Amino acid sequence: MLPIEVSHLVVAYRRWFKPPFCAVDDLSFVVREGEIVGFLGANGAGKTSTIKTLMGFQPPTAGTARIFGMDATDARARQLVGFLPETALYSPYLTPYETLRLYGELHGLRGRQLKAQIEALLEAVNLSHKAHTLNKNLSKGMLQRVGIAQALLGDPKLLILDEVSSGLDPIGKRELRDLLATQRARGATIFFSSHELAEVASICDRILIIHRGRLIAEHRLSDLTGRVESLEDYFIRTVQAGRDILLEEANAA
Amino acid sequence: MTRTLQITRALMTAGLLETLRRKDLYVVLILTLLLTLGASAFRAFGVQGLEIFVKDVALTAIGVMTTVLTVLIAARQIPEEMQRRTIYPLMARPITRGQLLLGKWATATMTASLCFVILALTTLGLLLTLGIGVKPIFVQYVLLKLLGIGWLCAVVIALSLYMTPAANVTLSLILAFGSGLFGRLLLMAHWEHDLSALWLNLLYGVLPHYDYFDMSKKVVFDWDLAPWWVLGAMAGYAVLNGGAWLLIGWLRFRKQTIG
Repeated sequence: MLPIEVSHLVVAYRRWFKPPFCAVDDLSFVVREGEIVGFLGANGAGKTSTIKTLMGFQPPTAGTARIFGMDATDARARQLVGFLPETALYSPYLTPYETLRLYGELHGLRGRQLKAQIEALLEAVNLSHKAHTLNKNLSKGMLQRVGIAQALLGDPKLLILDEVSSGLDPIGKRELRDLLATQRARGATIFFSSHELAEVASICDRILIIHRGRLIAEHRLSDLTGRVESLEDYFIRTVQAGRDILLEEANAA
Repeated sequence: MTRTLQITRALMTAGLLETLRRKDLYVVLILTLLLTLGASAFRAFGVQGLEIFVKDVALTAIGVMTTVLTVLIAARQIPEEMQRRTIYPLMARPITRGQLLLGKWATATMTASLCFVILALTTLGLLLTLGIGVKPIFVQYVLLKLLGIGWLCAVVIALSLYMTPAANVTLSLILAFGSGLFGRLLLMAHWEHDLSALWLNLLYGVLPHYDYFDMSKKVVFDWDLAPWWVLGAMAGYAVLNGGAWLLIGWLRFRKQTIG
C-alpha cells in the first residue's frame, strides 16, 4: 500500500464574482514506503493546498488523494500519519506536556504508554526543561519543537511536514536532521515541504517541484548529482522556466 | 462510542485547563462579589417585606450573567481554534469532525455549567444569610437551567459555523433574551393579521425557546415542586432540539475547508 497516492488532483477555491482560483491543477504523484520526499515550489505554487488535501482539511475539487489506500478525508487514515503544520500555534494556555497529552489522547494513546512517549519526545526535541512552561511563554523555535514532538506521537508510519525547519536556529536544524534520520531508520516515510534547499539536498531521496499547481519536475537526488551545479541553481532555473530544464536538455540532446 | 468519549474527555480536560488559566472564572468571581455587595446593602437597610423583590433581583442577575457567559464561551470554541490555527494539529488526529464538534459542545457546556453552579450556590448562600429561604423547587430550577445551558451551547456552536463571531454573539443573545417574546409576537400577528392557528403553532415550535428553561419566577413566588415528568419532557426537548442544532452545525462543518 502506497503511503501517498495523488491522482489528477485539482483544488480550486471559489471567489465572489470572479472565476475560481485553481491552486492545484491536475497533480499526480506517489510516495513509496520508506522514502524521504521533498515537496518544493515557490510561494503560492500549491504546496500547502496539496498538503491540506492530503490531511483532509480541504476536500479535493476533482481527482483523488489517498493515504495508505484510504481516502484522505477518512479519519482512520490519520491514525498512521504525523503532521506538522506550517506556522502552527499551540494553545497559549497549555504547557508542552499538556499539549502533547491532549494530542496523544486524541490519537488514542493513554496511560503509561502516553506518559512515556511524551517524556521521550520532549527529550528528543530538547524541550524537557520547558515541559511545564505555558506555550505563550515559549519562543517561536521552541513552539516549532513542540510541533515536531506532536507530529511524532504514536510513531506514525508517514510524516507530513509543512515548512519543517521554519523558526529553528542552526542547532535546531541539525537536531531536526538527526531526528528525521532516526525516523527514517525506524522505517517511517517522510514527505515534507521546505524552502531550505540545502536541508532538502542533505536528507531527501527524491524531490518533486510544483509550479502554479502543476508538477513540473520529479527526480531522485542521486540523478541530479553531476548534472546540475546545485539543487538551488536547478530549482531556480526550473521554476523560472516553468518546466523541467533537465528534461528539456535531455530532449534537445 | 468509547473512542468518542475518550476524545470528548481529552477536549474537556484541555478546555477546563484553558478556562482556569485564561481567568474566565475571575469574571464569575467578580460578579459573585458584586452580588455579595448588593446583598450587603439589602442587609444594611433590612429586607423585611422585600423577600420576593430580593429573590427576583438575585435570580434575574444570575440568569442574565449565565446567559451572557454561556454565549461567549460557546461562541469561541471552534472559531478561536481556526483563528489561532490550533485546529490543524487537532484535526490531524484520527478524529472525525463530528467528534470534534461534540467534544467542543461538551467543553462549552461543562465550562458554562461550572460558572452557573458557582453563581447559583453563592446566591443561595447570600439569600440564606439574609434570612430568605427558598423552596425545594430551587433544585429543579438549577437542573432545568443546566439543561438550558447545554441547549444554548448547541445553538451557539452551530451558528458559529455559519457566521462571524461578532454576528453569532449578537444573534445568539437576541435569540436567548428575546425567545420569551416569540409567543407574544406570534399572538399579536394572529390578532392583527389573522395568521392561521396551524402556522402559528408551527412557527412557535420551530423558533428556539431558551425561555422554556427558566423557572426563576416559580422560585421567586415559592411554588411547589413541578411534576418531574415536566423536567423529563424538557430534557427530551433539550436533547432533540439541541441535537438538531448540532446536526445543522455538522452539516456545514463536515465539508468546510479548514483554515
